[in-house]
Amino acid sequence: MFIVCSKRPFVLPCSWSGFLRERKIERAVSRPLPYLRCERARGDVPSLELDSVALLSRHLHRRSLAMDPKLTEVSQIFERFKAAFVRSDFDTCRRLLSQLKVLLTEFPSLPPLFQKTANAVHELTLAREIYEHAVVLSVKTEDQDAFERDFFQLKPYYTDTCGLIPPSPQEYPILGLNLLRLLVQNRIAEFHTELELLPASALENPYIKHAVELEQSFMEGAYNRVLSARQTVPHDTYVYFMDLLAKTVRDEIGGCSEKAYDYLSVADAKQIMMFSSDQELAEYIEVEHPEWEIKDGSVIFQKAKETAPCKEIPSLQLINQTLSYARELERIV
Amino acid sequence: MTQDVEMREVPVASNSVSSSVPLTLQHLKEIASLIETGAYAKEVRRIFHAVRLTIALRKKLKASILSAFLNSVLVPSSEAHARLISYLPKDAVEDMEIDTATSAAQGPLKHSLPEIEIYCHLLVLIFLIDHKLYNEAKVCASASINRVKSVNRRTVDVLASRLYFYYSYVHELTDSLAEIRGTLLSLHRMATLRHDELGQETLLNLLLRNYLHYNLYDQAEKLRSKAPRFEAHNNQQFCRYLFYVGKIRTIQLDYTDAKDSLLQAARKAPISARGFRIQCNKWAVIVRLLLGEMPERTVFMQTGMKKALRPYFELTNAVRIGDLELFRNVAEKFSSTFSTDRTHNLIVRLRHNVIRTGLRNISISYSRISLVDVARKLRLDSSNPVADAESIVAKAIRDGAIDATLDHASGCMLSKETGDVYSTLEPQMAFNSRIAFCLNMHNEAVKALRFPPNSHKKEKESAEKRRERQQQEQELAKHIAEEDDDEF
Repeated sequence: MFIVCSKRPFVLPCSWSGFLRERKIERAVSRPLPYLRCERARGDVPSLELDSVALLSRHLHRRSLAMDPKLTEVSQIFERFKAAFVRSDFDTCRRLLSQLKVLLTEFPSLPPLFQKTANAVHELTLAREIYEHAVVLSVKTEDQDAFERDFFQLKPYYTDTCGLIPPSPQEYPILGLNLLRLLVQNRIAEFHTELELLPASALENPYIKHAVELEQSFMEGAYNRVLSARQTVPHDTYVYFMDLLAKTVRDEIGGCSEKAYDYLSVADAKQIMMFSSDQELAEYIEVEHPEWEIKDGSVIFQKAKETAPCKEIPSLQLINQTLSYARELERIV
Repeated sequence: MTQDVEMREVPVASNSVSSSVPLTLQHLKEIASLIETGAYAKEVRRIFHAVRLTIALRKKLKASILSAFLNSVLVPSSEAHARLISYLPKDAVEDMEIDTATSAAQGPLKHSLPEIEIYCHLLVLIFLIDHKLYNEAKVCASASINRVKSVNRRTVDVLASRLYFYYSYVHELTDSLAEIRGTLLSLHRMATLRHDELGQETLLNLLLRNYLHYNLYDQAEKLRSKAPRFEAHNNQQFCRYLFYVGKIRTIQLDYTDAKDSLLQAARKAPISARGFRIQCNKWAVIVRLLLGEMPERTVFMQTGMKKALRPYFELTNAVRIGDLELFRNVAEKFSSTFSTDRTHNLIVRLRHNVIRTGLRNISISYSRISLVDVARKLRLDSSNPVADAESIVAKAIRDGAIDATLDHASGCMLSKETGDVYSTLEPQMAFNSRIAFCLNMHNEAVKALRFPPNSHKKEKESAEKRRERQQQEQELAKHIAEEDDDEF
């Protein structure tokens, strides 16, 4: 079908807007299903035309690359990468990705050099797309370290290329994903630092808003809101982090409960800590909180509470303080 | 914000403009000679003084005066002279010819000290900025920076640091701060290599400001923590530094340190820097609220700040009462103010504190209250307010905000009796922290005392005298001792 397409005497103006459209469509086609769905929903790409236009554009794309062999090589490997990505063949993906990363180092137009070469726009867009895929891949393979690395490689493309290439439609989903990761890893300071970088309008974006609201609920202690947010994830890739977050939340709830309640009935405890069976609850208590006691159908936290604070005068500390006052006064007088 | 944070002495208003023209020129020449003596005697203090005097003259600067001054202090055929004159507006040229004639008669000031040249650069730059000739100012600033790079003299540092400041300022006015980041970084490196501490201080602040302008808190903190630290030379620069550190710490949730820095910055800033102090106070108020403290009413009633701090006053009120509804209203009402102050995200963080205060009030007033009522009183707007209330209360208990227990079966919160605060160690701890603060203040004050240079030499001369005196004393003591012996 591809060959047929290429023989047709189509001449599309390879102008700016045409080129951009091409890139967008091609990206939409080559993405796995979830992406496609979300882009269609936003009405970027009319779904009926999709296939024919995409094939055509891919063809044009190939031809325009013929000038630069390096760029062609990268695009070809990236095509294979995307194919493997759709097949969920993550081992191949990883292998191809490391090849791609090595090849990308040879482009002078990429950060931090930003040389204005003839293919700069093309190279930047391609590199950004590769790193975006790398981030999503790291989520799929559940590798948080790789996520962090890839995200930091991707970030300059979002912050420093504003005037060079048009913004990516994947920008906010990925930024939101990163916020979520910081939340899961309990790096709240970094979470807020990242948040400050976003313009006010971005806070209305569903992907960002999701993460911001989660953080708020988490801080307030409204844990059930955190858990119900799992049902309303804006994107499939978010599920992985939401699951991790659920574990953190459970620990938090456990910590709060032991201070707040004297005892809880097993049924209530099960519900509050979101276990599906008594068995799971018992196992959890055994592993995480052996000091809790299960007796007569209720969980008793009494044992965990500290004994009444002793009313002892901290004499050593007081002596130290008084001596230091004396020393300082000596110095003044 | 740029205007607000500007920290500069307010120039003395001139009472008679017409008669001040030759007078201003005279003043400028005096300043030039002051710089000259400073440069020869290697006394940085004099140059500081010269810069201060210049700022006072700022309003009176005119193109004609400037060109006359340039003619008198720079060699007319030199490259610097030609370049600087070219920046001035053209209508000054006619005056210039007359001035050349007069200055040629005066003659004796002709020299090419680098200090004087840099000073002329600074003067022209200030003039261009004041007359809103930003494009010329940018070109002039870049040229000056290039000139400064080639001079390595400690007496130039003072002037150079002012140049850096205006260099960054003009770029901020034209909203092109991102362009000069690289230059500033290389200047900072240069200043570090030359042990130019004043330059380092100024440049570090400019860089921090540059980063914070674009909300790049991460980079700012990394630079700040890696940059060499030393004792502050300039109070104003130190204030700025504290303010920036305070901002960074606030964003990174290190509220205790942030509060210290911001309050210190507000306290140290000169009275005339009203805009800067307002900014400091705004941030300090939010940080204190985030810490769960209540800023005193006097903070909002300081002269000249009442109006600017109004939104923050109402915000504080909402947090103090613990009313979520009121808090939401205030946040909405002043949302434009908060977003221009870039405190919007911080105010979102405050929601949590409003709930806490509300909860504390409830816990103090009721010994037993159902969770349904708690949710209603807190006005939690969610799909399942009771479950929310339960987990919020549980977290508050764990964090030690309230002293209570929950009874899940009956859905109640039971407050415990609040004990007598004076039976705990709390008063003692508060007392200790105040004493520590006072003692620290005293020590800092002693450290900050300045002594005139070379005073230790005088002491050396008198050392012999002292020895004599001690000898006499010893003899006297011996006599007394002998007398004592005699009595026995």
